[in-house]
Amino acid sequence: MAHPSQLGFQDAASPLMEELLMFHDHALLVVFLISAFVLYIILAMITTNMTDKYILDSQGVEIIWTILPALILILIALPSLRILYLMDEIDSPHLTVKAVGHQWYWSYEYTDYADLAFDSYMIPPQDLTPGQFRLLEADHRMVIPVMTPVRALISAEDVLHSWAVPALGTKMDAVPGRLNQTTFVASRPGVYYGQCSEICGANHSFMPIVVEVAPLEHFEAWSSLMLEDT
Amino acid sequence: MSLAKPLMRGLLGKRLRIHLPVAFAVSLLTAAVFKYTVCDPRKQAYAEFYKNYDAVKEFNNMREAGIFECVRPSGE
Repeated sequence: MAHPSQLGFQDAASPLMEELLMFHDHALLVVFLISAFVLYIILAMITTNMTDKYILDSQGVEIIWTILPALILILIALPSLRILYLMDEIDSPHLTVKAVGHQWYWSYEYTDYADLAFDSYMIPPQDLTPGQFRLLEADHRMVIPVMTPVRALISAEDVLHSWAVPALGTKMDAVPGRLNQTTFVASRPGVYYGQCSEICGANHSFMPIVVEVAPLEHFEAWSSLMLEDT
Repeated sequence: MSLAKPLMRGLLGKRLRIHLPVAFAVSLLTAAVFKYTVCDPRKQAYAEFYKNYDAVKEFNNMREAGIFECVRPSGE
């Protein structure tokens, strides 16, 4: 989860999020490069004693300040496109989970082998136990196995929602009448939090997503237990 | 006695010939500092983390701490 006064991204829990972190570092490097240049030029311009300092035209400098930004944009676009295509690779997922947005909760369906379905409501602040996180905890968590390609099919029952888990580097809009697909692999076990990311009414901020990543045998035990309970 | 004629031309060009290369150098230096203090350490940190990462051991530690709901600590 995010920490108070956190500035950067959450630690990556999937290979895709690691790639996104590296790309963000690359893009920020280009931002600092350009900003340092512009700042220096501004300082040079305001500390001059010259009164007649305006060049009226110069084809040479115009060529330079057209070509150079184009090269910088290519420098940003190439890694960006690489990650974009990486995100679209559907690499034989071992598990499919449906996440359906409602006003104002998520429901999850594991229908690969049996009909497991449950709702996931936010735990209200007054019902939290010590150590739990305000507005982030849910009564039923989505559990997935670690190091397993998972396909998430996202949809909605009523209005637009968006299923997002920053640590896993996933966000996908939940559109009524449409099934959106995203895949991810959780690299390490743990509990990862997200929140609805598309305005959906009064309780838009109060329908969190909690993903638990556990080894396969524990995932199987959990799903058997959930099937018995439902 | 006559004074030398002051330099009246090419003042901006002379200034630009100093400041533009310095501006490029400053921006490249800023980028290099950011790369070697942020980008590369972050890549290294992730590589180090996963080099000897034992998912089962970490999972068991987290399980005993009671953070999971799909599986309770072994004592419970």
